[in-house]
Formats: sequence, structure tokens, C-alpha cells
Amino acid sequence: MDTMLEHELPRCSGAGLCLILAFGAVSSLSANAAEPDWPQAWFEPARTASQLGIDSFSQSPLLEGQGLPPVERRLPDDPVVVVPLESVGVYGGTARIIADDRTMFISPEGLFTISPDHKTILPNLAESWTYSEGGRRLTVRLRRGLKWSDGQPMSADDVLFAVNDLQLNSGFMPVTLPDFIGLKLHAVDPWTLVFDFPEPDPFFVNYVAQSPELFLMPKHYFRDFHPDYATAEEIDARMEEMGFSSWSAFMMTSMQMRLFPDLVNQPTLRAFQIESLTPDLYTYSRNPYYFKIDPDGRQLPYIDAVEAQDVRENEVAVAKASTGQLDFAGVRLPTQDIPLLKLGERNSGIKVNIWNRLHGSDLSIQANMNYADERKRALFNDVRLRRALSMAINRDEMNEIIYFGRGTPRQVTVIPESDYFEPEFATAWARYDVDAANALLDEIGLVDIDGDGMRELPDGERLTLTVEYVDTETPKQVSMELVTSYWNAVGIDARQRLIDRELQYSRAIAGELEMTVWHADRTTDILFPINPDFWAPRKLAASLAMWSEWSRWYLTGGDLGEEPPPDIRRLQLWADELATTMDPERRVELGKRILAANAENVWTIGTVGLAPQPVVTSNRLRNVVASGLWGWDTRYTMAYHPATWYLDQ
Amino acid sequence: MLRRLLGMIPTLAVISVLVFIVIQLPEGDIVTSTLDRLSATGVEMSDDRIRNLRAQYNLDQPLPVQYLSWIGNFITGDMGFSYLYARPVNELVWERLGYTLLVTVGALLFTWLLALPIGIYSAVRQYSVADYAFTTAGLIGLATPNFLIALILMYLGYTWFGLSFGGLFSPEFLNAPWSWARFVDLLAHLWIPVIVIGTSGMAVTMRLMRANLLDELRKPYVTTARAKGVPPLKLLLKYPVRIAINPFISTIGLLLPALISGEAIVGVVLNLPTTGPLLVQSLITQDMYLAGSLIMLLSVLTVTGMLLSDLLLAWVDPRIRYE
Repeated sequence: MDTMLEHELPRCSGAGLCLILAFGAVSSLSANAAEPDWPQAWFEPARTASQLGIDSFSQSPLLEGQGLPPVERRLPDDPVVVVPLESVGVYGGTARIIADDRTMFISPEGLFTISPDHKTILPNLAESWTYSEGGRRLTVRLRRGLKWSDGQPMSADDVLFAVNDLQLNSGFMPVTLPDFIGLKLHAVDPWTLVFDFPEPDPFFVNYVAQSPELFLMPKHYFRDFHPDYATAEEIDARMEEMGFSSWSAFMMTSMQMRLFPDLVNQPTLRAFQIESLTPDLYTYSRNPYYFKIDPDGRQLPYIDAVEAQDVRENEVAVAKASTGQLDFAGVRLPTQDIPLLKLGERNSGIKVNIWNRLHGSDLSIQANMNYADERKRALFNDVRLRRALSMAINRDEMNEIIYFGRGTPRQVTVIPESDYFEPEFATAWARYDVDAANALLDEIGLVDIDGDGMRELPDGERLTLTVEYVDTETPKQVSMELVTSYWNAVGIDARQRLIDRELQYSRAIAGELEMTVWHADRTTDILFPINPDFWAPRKLAASLAMWSEWSRWYLTGGDLGEEPPPDIRRLQLWADELATTMDPERRVELGKRILAANAENVWTIGTVGLAPQPVVTSNRLRNVVASGLWGWDTRYTMAYHPATWYLDQ
Repeated sequence: MLRRLLGMIPTLAVISVLVFIVIQLPEGDIVTSTLDRLSATGVEMSDDRIRNLRAQYNLDQPLPVQYLSWIGNFITGDMGFSYLYARPVNELVWERLGYTLLVTVGALLFTWLLALPIGIYSAVRQYSVADYAFTTAGLIGLATPNFLIALILMYLGYTWFGLSFGGLFSPEFLNAPWSWARFVDLLAHLWIPVIVIGTSGMAVTMRLMRANLLDELRKPYVTTARAKGVPPLKLLLKYPVRIAINPFISTIGLLLPALISGEAIVGVVLNLPTTGPLLVQSLITQDMYLAGSLIMLLSVLTVTGMLLSDLLLAWVDPRIRYE
């Protein structure tokens, strides 16, 4: 109970810089402290052929004699050089994966990319960018001579099309995405784009790097389907042929499918393009116009083709991976199956790499502080109850039982490498202390009146907590079995119920769930500053059931929902300022304030985070990092350069 | 005959309305389930993007309008558009129908070729050790969940023969053009689904054959024939077996609907390129047109199949006549 946080924070809350003093100077973790053997080049803007004095280029033998233009004419004017992890590779081979791993094996290419320090944004298709003083204007300069996989030039037009003709077209997008509201984009010339924002938007580049698909569509392909560029008759005829109900349905589907490199015939900028699609196999071949080379001037990727089998059952995915039938597998391999996969390591020619999921906690246990039942609401708003529930949980035991001791017991907060992280955020009220929990519950007035071992409300009625949730993505059900047993041990009658995803979605948004469980991502410096959703009520979502009415109040400018109390309101104001301030120190200060307030108040309860994620590679697949951060914030493998992976035949 | 054909129309009309209502009943739609599907593959979509998707798919139109446009197209042979696969339903069904036919017919032949002779043997040698042994084995097959047998056989197939897990082909033959080697590879994989699906029907067929035949064997004409010295085997096959087999002919009609749904769960586990998993997937994701059209197709095939069975039975067994 007497953590440093409790003593320090109440005096400081809301009082400007004193928080920073309480926590000491801004932490200065060196960028690549975690993995010293990763190439330094990965952490810096990629160098180009001219900077490194590379003037001769070569290509995969597969491309010889295919009637393509010579490789130096297919590459951009000044190709991007990627340094492989271990060594330069050899050309050739077909990689075997399952379909759900295709966005991990064939990672997206956007204007910017993400450094493996998981915080720095680096140039990619763009060669550089500058923010204006004040942060309301972003100027982006594209590399010259980039080409789509069909050989057509890629230019500013493709970005203008994606943003102005699609995202900002109200006929196409009735609900403008939040990050596009008020955005104005124009091109100065074919290689220079200017974004104007209504408010300073320093993290816009993070958004572009993390969701590149929203900002890039091959205009020369899609213009034939867009009413601004083609006549209604032409479009109708094409839709009739393709079987879509309208151009917008086709375009929306394409945009969604472009999350995967999947639509046959559609040009791409990724390392591989789709060749064919059958009910059980996706076949990809190398993109002959890919814009990156290795330090020897050889065009990437090394691998010639990818075959992705459509596997529908996790068990089958695990069986295939553990018997060496896949070169790369990750997303469908559950943590619980690590021992099984390890067995395969002995004689199947595979390696089981343990990455870490970036979820700050695999479980975010949420008590609805806006719940309709007055007694429960009062209880959930009492910080003592939330602290007691948190301290009753034996996180070390959970870590041993569920995660083989390879996870990290912690609260819902950002990853340790984050600029906004302090160790106390992860440990606050996370100590296993049954006595302290019991004392707090007694103090609230929850005592066992009828002597059955379970606590009653002050009016004599049995206190029952019902946790309703969806068992998806992280091991929630096995975790909640343990959590409810821990709560029973301190006299809380907790019950759990699995519900349907649809029900979770509608009831969370309507504020009708008493308690629920989700997982907490948005924990890296890529997405936390833009969307600190788990720590400040600014959004309505299936994942945020603890304060829907306060979020509704925020989203509707006070028309609907409930006005949040001052200690919640300031979270919203801090988060707003965090997203717009151009002062890096102020930014860190605000981020830490938000997280410190959450640590102190335990608005959501965490269990175990940074959980082990098995990533299986075949012994012949080279240049894959042995351990990385696994998650949506950083698009899984994007920072680890899958285009440099090769098959050692 | 004509009356029976015309009678199918109102039946199918009622089914189509029911199908449409049942598909609409669960909370949510293809768009909300898209969230789930994407998050399972590691992609997260914001709720705003989901709202836009719903508007584009015209899911906000009144239900009667959605129904009429769907059934109208279905009658003209256009089964609609699958949001899930972003392709016309017709294409999805056609490319899977061949393999489905192969697996279903293969499984049926496997069942019959084994179960009918065993059934006959058990009837003739009633209460023998072999009778008990076959019955026990058959019931174990009936009682074990299909998917479990599938997993076990996949494991054995891998450890004994080095077969790849799931599917009807080894990875190297998946996209290859047809050749002798590919055909052999198909046969090497086909036995697993055939056995798995076949064993589920084995016990029922076996016991049914046994019971039917026992009834026949006790009839006076058998005794008479025996007394007259007809050779036992000839007697058995020519008269009682022919009659005892009639009920199976009436189930041939059920083969047609089985084409769509028969191997659904096994198909999912074994990763078969057949229509069953398509149906399961479409129902889970509430892909309205895909699910609706598949179930409608299923109904049409069931009704047609029953009709065919009746006609076939009347042809095989001259005692049966329709007025």
C-alpha cells in the first residue's frame, strides 16, 4: 500500500512540472539497447545507392529473359539500400507460409516506416519530410522514379487520389476518419506533397507510417472505377463484370483487401505481388519493380515466390509449423503451444523464436464506472475497490501457469522502451497482497455479514461481480479462471461469462457491461501518443467498456453522456494536448501524467504483459531476428525487413 | 408426378423466407464480424472504418427490399456477392464443387463397400463373435467425433507416410497442372477425408442392413426356397438382399444436399477445398448472400434429391407405385 506513487502523486496531481521531478529526468534508453546485434542502419534513415557509391545493379536469375526492362531502369533513380541482419542472401526459392501470416511475411510499404526502436519514424517511399514551425504544415518529398509492380510510375498523384478522392470524399466516406478531419492536401510538383492540418499534428507521420494503405492507391489502376475519372456507364459495365454492387463497394473492398497483398491484378509496391488465388492457396511472385536493394546492389527480395496455404484451424497451423512444413509462422500459434513447438525443434529442422507481444497487458480488466446500477457504480468508482481487486491477483503465479514464466506481471501501461514509461506505472498496486486487499475491502464496508465466507454489500445483499467477455486474441478465459479464484479468496463472489463478439461490441458502446476484459495494445510510441485510448476516455469501442458515458460526453461536446469528474476530465485535456504539442519535453510530461494517474487510480486492472509469442522459422530461412516486438502498433515485422529474408538452399 | 414438382415451389418459397429471417436473427452483420475476422489475423480496424463499410454494403436498406433483391437474383441463377471473399458466390461454389463431389461420393462408396457386406454377414451369422466385433467397431466409429478421427489420421498420415497436414494435395502439387503424379498425390491424401467421413455413416448403414436382412430372412419365402434347394448364396443375394437394400436407395437422394454441407466440420479441420467450410465460414461471419444462397441451394438439392429417390425406388422395387 505504501508505494512511492501513493506518497508522491497526490501532492503533485495537476501541478505542472512537479511530476517530472517526482520521476526524475526523462529516461534516455539508448535506441538499440535491447538487441545490440541488429544493424545500426536499421535505426537510421536508409541510405541510398548513390550515398554508398553503388553503381551497378543485379537481379534474380528468375527475371532474366522475361522481356522486362533492365534492372537499373526498373529500380528508382536512387534505390534504397537495406542492410540484412546476418549477411547478404542468395536468390531463389519458394517460401511456405500459411495465409494468415502473409502480411507478416510480405510487409506493407508506405511513405514512411518504423524503426526497430519502436518509436522513430523513418523515410521509406518518401525520402524526407519537414514540419513547419508550429506543426500545422507537413511537406513530404517522394523518391524519384518509384514504380508500381506493373511498371507504371508512382508519384504524388497516387497519394492525392487516396486522400482527396477517397478519404476526404464524403460520397465515399460518410464518416471521415478522425485523423483526416480538416486535412488539406495538395502537390507542389509530382514529388512534393503538402499536408495542411487545422491543429498542429506532430504525430501525423506516425499514423502514415503505421497505416500506409490509407495514404496510397495506384491511381492509374483505380481511376477507371472512380466517378470523377470515368463515366457512369463505363463504371457500371465494369462493376457488372466484376460482380460488385457499386464502385464504392468495390473501392472499399479493395482498400480493405490492400491490407493484405491479395487482389489479383492490382498493382502493389510490396516486395511480392499476388499471382493466383485458389480456395486453399495464395501464390505470390517477386515484384520486379521493388525499390530496395542490398549492399551489393542486388535487387530485393531474395526469395522468388511465396506460397500461402489457407489454414483454418489453429491446431493444423501448429502441427504444420512444428513438423517443419512452414518456413515462417506466427499469428496463428498460441502461447500455450510453445512446448509442443519446442518438441518439433529437435527433429523437424525448425527454430522456435520467442518474440514478445506488445500488449502492455494481455488482460485489461474493466469495471464500468458509468454503470446504471447505483450501488455498483459507487463501488466501481471507489479507488479502494479497484486497488483491492488488483492486489488480490497473484500475477507471478499467472505468469508461471499460463506463460511459462516468460511474460511480465504488470498493469496496463506502455512498453518499457517507451519514452513515456516509468517502472512504477507497471508495478503500481500490482503486488500480490491478500491482507492489504482484505483490509481495503473491509474499509469500504464490504464485510461478510452472514458468515458464508463471501462479502455482502452494506445493506446485507451478497456482492456479486459478473465479468462478461469475449475469449479472443489473448488467453483470456484461462486467465479469468485464475482471477476469479483469486477474488473468491478475498471474499468476492466473482463470476465470468463468455459472450458473443457482437454482444460485447454493442453493450460496451452502450455502457451496459458491468465488468469486462479486453487486451491492451497501443503501447508503443508509435500509437500511444495518438490514441491513448486505454488511459483517457476519448473513444467508444468494444475494447473500452469502463467509461463509455464520459467518452460520449467528450465526443459529443457535452450534448450526450455524462460530464466526467475533474480527475477524468483532465485526462482528456492532457491527451488532447499530447497529440498537438510541438514541444517534445511537454509531450513526455503529459504522457507520463496520463499514465501516472492511471497507475495511481487503477482505472483498468492489468495481469501479465509483454507475453511470449512463438515465431517459428525453418532452418533454411535466414536473416530473421531471433526476438522482436509482435503487434499491430508496429505492423509486426515491418521494422525487421522481411524483404531481406532468404532461403539457404 | 407433375403435382409433386409443383408442390416443390411453395415449399421452397417458405424455406427461402425462413432462411433469410434466420440469417438476420443474430446480432450484428458481416461488417461487425469483419472486425473479429481481421483481429484474428492481427489486423485491427477502427470503428469509424467499420461504419463506412456498412454504408457501402447497403446494409441499412429495409429487410423486405434486401430479401426481394436476393431471391430475385437467386432465381435467375445469380447467387449474389460474397463480402467475405469479395467475389461472386457462383464462382466460389463452382470452383469447390468438383472436389466436394469427389470426397462425398468417395466416402459414400467407402461406407457402402464395407458396411453392406458386413451388414449381410452379421445378419447371416447373427450373434457370432464377428457380428459383435463389427458392431462394436462400427459403434466406436459412430461415437468418436469426426474431427478427432481427422486429427488422429492426419497425425498418422504424417508420421507413417510423411503426408503434409490437411488439404487434398501436397504443397508442391497444389498449383500444378493435372498429371499422373498429381493424381497419385490426390489419392494419397484423399483416403483421410474418405475414411473420416465414411466411418461416421458406417455403423448406421451396417446395423440397418443387418436389421432389414434379418426381417427378410425370417420370411416364409426364404424357408420355401431353402427347402427347394436353392444354393444359399444365390438365394441370399437374389431375394432378401435385394429387398433389404431398398432403404439405401431412398437415401441416395440425400447425397445431393450432402454435397454442400456433408463434410463441413471435417472440411474445416482437414482444410479441404470443398463447399462445407465455405458454408460454416459464411454463417460465422454472417456473410448474408453467401450463407443465404448456400442454404437455399441446400434446400433445392434436398427437395430435388427426395424426388429423385422416390422415382428411383419406384423403378427398382416394382411393388411401389404412385397414383
